[in-house]
Amino acid sequence: MSNEKKQLKMLAPEGFREKLSRRAFLQGGTAVAGFALIAVACGSSDGDSAEGGEASGEGLATGDWSRVINQSSGTLAMYTWGDYNDPDLVGELAASTLNVTMKVDYYASNEDLITKLATSGGSSGFDIVVPTGPYIPQMIEKGLIQKLDKSLIPNMANVDQNYLAQAWDPTNEYSVCKDWGTVGYLYDSTKISKEMTNWQDFLDVCMGEASGNCAVIDGAPNYCGPWFWANGIDWNTEKPEDLDACEKFLVDEFAQHIKAFDSYPSAKIAEGAFSIAMAWNGDARQAYTRIEEAGGNPDDWKWVLGAPETELWMDNYCIAAGAPNAEAANAWINWDLIPEVSIKDLSYHGYHTGMKNMSTLISEVAPDLTRADMIFFGNEQVSTMRTQVITPALDRLIDILNKSKAKAGG
Amino acid sequence: MTVSVAAKFRNKVRAPKYLLAIPAIIWYLVFFAAPIAFIVLYSFGTKDTTKLLPVDLSNLSSNSYSSVFDETFFKVFKATLRISIVATAMCVVIGLPVAYFAAFKVPEKWKAIILAAVVVPSFTSFLIRTVAWRIPLAPNGTLSKWLVETGYIGSNGIQILETATAVQIAIVYNYLGFMILPLFVALDRIDVRMREASKDLGAGRIATFFGVTLPLAGPGIIAGVLLTFIPMCGDYVTATVLGGAKGNMIGSMIASQFSGAQNWPLGSAMAILMIGAVLSTLIIGAAIFWVLPRIAVLASPLVQQIRRKIYEHAANQARSEKLQTRVKREVLSKLLAIWTVLVLVFLFVPILLVILHSFNAGSSFTIWSGSTSIKWWGELFDGAETFGVLIRFAILIGIGVLAQNYAKRRPNVARSLKTWLATGAFVVALVVNGLITNWYRTIFDFAGIGDAIRNSFIAAFGATIIAVIIGGMSGVALARRPGGWTKFFMATVFLILVTPEIMDAIALVTWFPRIKDVPLVGTIFSTGWGPFNGGINKLWVGQSLYASAVVTLIVRARLAGLDESLEEAAGDLGAPPARTFRQITLPLIASAMVAGGLLSFALCLDNAVISTLISEAGSTTFPVALLGATKSTIKPFWGVGAVLLFAVTLGALWFLAVLLRRGGDSASKIAATFTGS
Repeated sequence: MSNEKKQLKMLAPEGFREKLSRRAFLQGGTAVAGFALIAVACGSSDGDSAEGGEASGEGLATGDWSRVINQSSGTLAMYTWGDYNDPDLVGELAASTLNVTMKVDYYASNEDLITKLATSGGSSGFDIVVPTGPYIPQMIEKGLIQKLDKSLIPNMANVDQNYLAQAWDPTNEYSVCKDWGTVGYLYDSTKISKEMTNWQDFLDVCMGEASGNCAVIDGAPNYCGPWFWANGIDWNTEKPEDLDACEKFLVDEFAQHIKAFDSYPSAKIAEGAFSIAMAWNGDARQAYTRIEEAGGNPDDWKWVLGAPETELWMDNYCIAAGAPNAEAANAWINWDLIPEVSIKDLSYHGYHTGMKNMSTLISEVAPDLTRADMIFFGNEQVSTMRTQVITPALDRLIDILNKSKAKAGG
Repeated sequence: MTVSVAAKFRNKVRAPKYLLAIPAIIWYLVFFAAPIAFIVLYSFGTKDTTKLLPVDLSNLSSNSYSSVFDETFFKVFKATLRISIVATAMCVVIGLPVAYFAAFKVPEKWKAIILAAVVVPSFTSFLIRTVAWRIPLAPNGTLSKWLVETGYIGSNGIQILETATAVQIAIVYNYLGFMILPLFVALDRIDVRMREASKDLGAGRIATFFGVTLPLAGPGIIAGVLLTFIPMCGDYVTATVLGGAKGNMIGSMIASQFSGAQNWPLGSAMAILMIGAVLSTLIIGAAIFWVLPRIAVLASPLVQQIRRKIYEHAANQARSEKLQTRVKREVLSKLLAIWTVLVLVFLFVPILLVILHSFNAGSSFTIWSGSTSIKWWGELFDGAETFGVLIRFAILIGIGVLAQNYAKRRPNVARSLKTWLATGAFVVALVVNGLITNWYRTIFDFAGIGDAIRNSFIAAFGATIIAVIIGGMSGVALARRPGGWTKFFMATVFLILVTPEIMDAIALVTWFPRIKDVPLVGTIFSTGWGPFNGGINKLWVGQSLYASAVVTLIVRARLAGLDESLEEAAGDLGAPPARTFRQITLPLIASAMVAGGLLSFALCLDNAVISTLISEAGSTTFPVALLGATKSTIKPFWGVGAVLLFAVTLGALWFLAVLLRRGGDSASKIAATFTGS
């Protein structure tokens, strides 16, 4: 278990310095210069940095940024999580800047993604896929993803070192950080009188005041997480007694109170379907806009970051094995790592995209970003976040979710 | 029967009787029997996520079955059957008066209008109609707020979403059309004289309804029940979109075993037990239908006594208050008319909401922002391309129609040419224009929906062609060359019809990777065939199964109604079998094939379950893409896409209806054609 704790710290700024020496090869002017050469070699007239800035429609951020754009062609198919990129970036802008036609399909869980890639036997036709970190090793092992062509992704230099070289892919051969986030919950303070601060409150209210009116995330570890965190148990536990206790509570006591298993509750919150809902921070942030559109009062809704501990996940751009247009995939990923493009994306989905010098970048490119506290987290908050580890216990967690679903439908 | 020369000739030819069914037999063996056999095998395996296909077949056990019978999962089974049975019954109760009204109480012209109104909603995307139910049912929605303000309901608003009630409402809504049509066809075929005779013999209206009309409508009710109950059991779209945790149905549970949980053995076991549950429910239902009339017969002296009493009573009343009866009858007609209007409103409200919400200024389809905007439509009519395409389309079809009219007036033009010229022009407009100018891409080149709509049509079109060819041939074989093989074949066809879609889906999705390395067959599905990629080919296979079974039954039913004398005569006149088939049999079954093709096309176009599991990047269809989008927030442009798809489908339907009308068919006949009865 101590391994994961270390790994977590990597994401906290203090981990930055220890990692620095190990990854010196990726750093500094030499690397950037090397990439600049490649950009010239690609010979595209649009490949200069000024174009990159214009394409994003924002002012250019100051500082040492790589803004290489590699032109490509053809169709690019992305298989990703629901509503996970700014529509312009996977639509018109990709066409006008990179000369690729994008099409995007959505999946609801990493397992969905793996099943789709595995059952199509390398002919799924998808180019870019976006798995969550811990699932990457098994995808490499099963031959579902191929290596990135890092020579085509010089803009990887823009990614904060804290978000590179994660345990699941220490050399970033296969993946690069798309964004990372955490989980908490939103509740309607006009319907729930209790002042809520942590996961125990969430579980209590779901079984009490908000019984039959609460939503939880539809993913096995994420659904089980709150109970572990509330009880001070590591959510990657493999101890049978912990898992038994979790199952006993969630299946026998908790499940009957659940209204929906929904990984993206924001629209349904605005429809008024729930009075409390577990949500990813970005989706929770979007809920505020939707509530306003539906004519509700956004201030009635309170966001609570999970405590005492909560999840930290990182989704990564990868290229599917047998991708029909791997070149365009590399080009697009590279383009999305240009700071201005990345911030455009961030403003849309509301997750930290892992750019270096993020606070300066935001103040220069998107100073009027709303509810930034739901996107960026302080060191103290990050230190309570835990990444998932795939263990044999995952099967048990899936089992718990399954049984809970069956139980909830009474 | 005289043994004709043709029959002798036929006996000389050593072809097996099932010759024409061979394509279907091969198709079903490779894409139904074998994949399902693997599902049966998987159900005895164990989960092993380290493998590419996460199932270990080295030690077989029946553990998965015992887990299904686990109390928790079994509850979902029961809930699914309960929802489906209640919904089927509600469809009968709601649909019967409408069918009755359309069949007996209105003039021919109105029949056509009512039927069209019933059919039209079924050709809107199934998924978007289901999603649309979120709009009126939302606790923060306009309806809910109004009800709260007027004090009809508590301050929490409508609390129906994410419950079994929401699923129940939407499932009745989604399948009502499939119940009304067969009911209408059955009622409409009842000879009016039967009802009159019943009345002449003294039966009252109620007695006539229960004694004559209802029994004669029996086949229609059975057809309606089969058409609604089976798909309901396997439906996972409605429960996923509206059900939340409480309205969970077995279809979504099975699907999640195959993707989310990666527990194929458990999913397989569930799917197999589900077929068992569907079959046994049908058997119980059939038994009840078989027993009831016999009980009625046993009780017949009593029944007749009661009837006589009722008659005497009615006759007495009639003598004294003849006028009042007339008024009563008019009241009944009015009630039926009101009921029909209400049902039609019920059918159309979600569609109107879809259209309205495609003009939503907000960013979410289901949440009305309070103001309208044409920005989602603006993307479509951005630039002149769309208008250009529409004009080009109109010109090509116009030429076709004119040519057809011209040909009609000339006596020496072949009849088939006269009938099909305009259709041909339509197809030419669609295909040739598309191939040359690639306008599908340009017109639909917005927000990623365009490709999905295009794929929907390509997939549905291909699957329909396959279904019509293999289904038509096996239909002919079944009707004209019955033999020992008929029983097995019919059993297979029936099995295909009762197998819930989700099971076909998982069977195929796990089957394709297995045959990947088989030369020829495998390559077609991995690298594609001609201009079509591998994913589209898979969709053709997946969607063609159910569709071909439907076509088989329709063609068989059509031929069973015609005796073989025409073909025999052709044989007597010396025509070889191939020529007889081309010149006699084919024209005879043409209308049945058109009907089957239409029904298949509509079903395939809407197919979400099979398509979602087997589609790939290049073969995402509209329902698949929309189902993906329902996992997060649905944007209003999905409404635009749905309206567009609806318009194109409706255009094609209208076109076919006009063609059939030209052929002299009445509204009832067209309806019969559309339902394939």
